[in-house]
Amino acid sequence: MTAAVMTDRPAAYAPAGNYKLSAAGLLRSEWTKLWSLRSTWIVLLCAVVFAAGLGALISGTVPSDMEELSGAGMAIDFSMSGVALSSIFIAVLGILVITGEYSTGSIRSTISAAPKRLGVLWAKAAVFGAVVAALFAVMVFATFFLSQALLEGTGMGGVSLSDDGVLRALLGYVAMIVYLALLAIALGAILRNSAGSIGFYIGVIMILPQLATLLPWEWVSDVTPYAPGDVPMTTTLVDTANGTLGLGESWLWMGIWLVVFYGLAAVLLKRRDV
Amino acid sequence: MNGLRTRRSLVDMIEIEHLTKRYGKKTAVDDLTFTVKPGVVTGFLGPNGAGKSTTMRAIVGLDAPTQGLARVNGKHYSEFRSPLTEVGALLEAKSVHAGRSAYKHLLALARTHGIPKTRVQEVIDLVGLHEVAGKRVGGFSLGMGQRLGIAVALLGDPAVLILDEPVNGLDPDGVKWIRLLLKGLAAEGRTVFLSSHLMSELAQTAEHLVVIGQGRLLADTTVEDFIAGDGKSRVRVVSPDAARLAEHLAGPGISIASPEKGVLEVSGTEAAVVGQAAAAHGLVLHELRTENGSLEDAFMQLTADAVEYRQTTEGANR
Ligand SMILES: Nc1ncnc2c1ncn2[C@@H]1O[C@H](COP(=O)(O)OP(=O)(O)OP(=O)(O)O)[C@@H](O)[C@H]1O
Ligand SMILES: [Mg+2]
Repeated sequence: MTAAVMTDRPAAYAPAGNYKLSAAGLLRSEWTKLWSLRSTWIVLLCAVVFAAGLGALISGTVPSDMEELSGAGMAIDFSMSGVALSSIFIAVLGILVITGEYSTGSIRSTISAAPKRLGVLWAKAAVFGAVVAALFAVMVFATFFLSQALLEGTGMGGVSLSDDGVLRALLGYVAMIVYLALLAIALGAILRNSAGSIGFYIGVIMILPQLATLLPWEWVSDVTPYAPGDVPMTTTLVDTANGTLGLGESWLWMGIWLVVFYGLAAVLLKRRDV
Repeated sequence: MNGLRTRRSLVDMIEIEHLTKRYGKKTAVDDLTFTVKPGVVTGFLGPNGAGKSTTMRAIVGLDAPTQGLARVNGKHYSEFRSPLTEVGALLEAKSVHAGRSAYKHLLALARTHGIPKTRVQEVIDLVGLHEVAGKRVGGFSLGMGQRLGIAVALLGDPAVLILDEPVNGLDPDGVKWIRLLLKGLAAEGRTVFLSSHLMSELAQTAEHLVVIGQGRLLADTTVEDFIAGDGKSRVRVVSPDAARLAEHLAGPGISIASPEKGVLEVSGTEAAVVGQAAAAHGLVLHELRTENGSLEDAFMQLTADAVEYRQTTEGANR
């Protein structure tokens, strides 16, 4: 009887076998995930509205008789004044891209489909970084032209992309926001908790370096320019001589911090239970 | 014709070897060793907190074992080039972002492997979610969430299915449906491994049983043998001379337990034999009765010492 049952047992099932986990697949999957959440649309819309709106509002209300407000550097500071606020929205969204998976449990599905795990982190960073880069490349230049139209007739009007350092500074703004977006993803991957990551980002990365300069010790103000949230500053300046870091240093430190954050995120992702 | 189908030999599809998992001081799984074979439904039985979900998470590589290993078809899960077509898993809790629709959740997973949209639609229809596939999962009922989890498990048409309490939250129709589905999948030669803490549930679906309690293996047997073996009848004797009677009954193949003073539970023999032994030695009997264990009893008996959380009704009655 038992023997009959044994031989009746069908051969083990072999799956069709033409599907395969791939890097391109992971990218497409993260793309689908990003755009299938309503929060993505809302947060990106907020980021765009604040960046363009604030820049336009501030540029549009500059009185024409204030002579100390002049020059390309000042003009770009004015037109990009909304970008700092925008970067918070982008960072929060970047954090949620990954902590949202942990809080809802969807990370279990994600990791079951990609059990080597690291590909998920790279795919998330690549997709979100690319989306932010594309969106803000458009945003930054649109805001610049809009505010130049509004600044016509003031000391900050008449700035052109071909002026010394202008194009580089505008691209610097795009780079800064992409850098912060990538930092946010890594931070989310390290802390895995939405509230904790957002708190850490705003408290430690954004505010602490500013507060630290009030401390009486000199070495503190020597190191704050190297804080992860502060290193992109120089890239956004028309005259980089005004920066606390040199232009090359600024890029170098952005790279260093990304390596540090992603290194830690990758090690933890590999080692921790999901 | 079925050359592809027989490409794989009749190996043990899931192998658990000396698996131990500790969370801090808590040992969730303790030196567990067993295998799950293709072609039959294997039930994974154990009371709450026995370590079933932990074992299943270890199989799909979500939790790293403290010691030992879990392999599927000879490989660690993370070595597969197409994990979704090798193993389909339904894990305990909802593993879906509440803000995403069922369709998009399945599509996002399908895209990692290049699985086409037609297959996504197929599994949605199969589990009966076509009407709500476009709705956000956050609004799903327990049963709908469970169906989505089953759809995820089936997405890659996998050779091995691991399902953690798949009938949880399903209505009677749904329970019947999944029973037939799982038996059908096993009959195709797939490995089907499902957990439950209800013996009655598994008895109707599974052919083979792996029973654990407090993270340790208690039984690895067919459902038939499990019922016949541990659920077998035993003889209950009440006698003032219980201790002396026990001495006379003792022998190979006979086990004697004494749940309380003056009471014996004897298995491996029959009531007539016990009665004769008592008469032969002039011992008084107050009660002599054959008890037949039910499946549930067999499970209870097996796990009696291994229950993690035992409730008490005393407080409620006060
Ligand atoms: N991530 C974790 N951290 C700490 N302890 C855990 C973790 N996961 C499980 N445990 C503990 O390990 C033990 C086994 O849990 P597990 O979820 O595997 O049991 P189970 O057999 O699936 O139970 P149930 O029938 O209730 O689903 C439990 O005591 C549980 O508290
Ligand atoms: Mg469980």
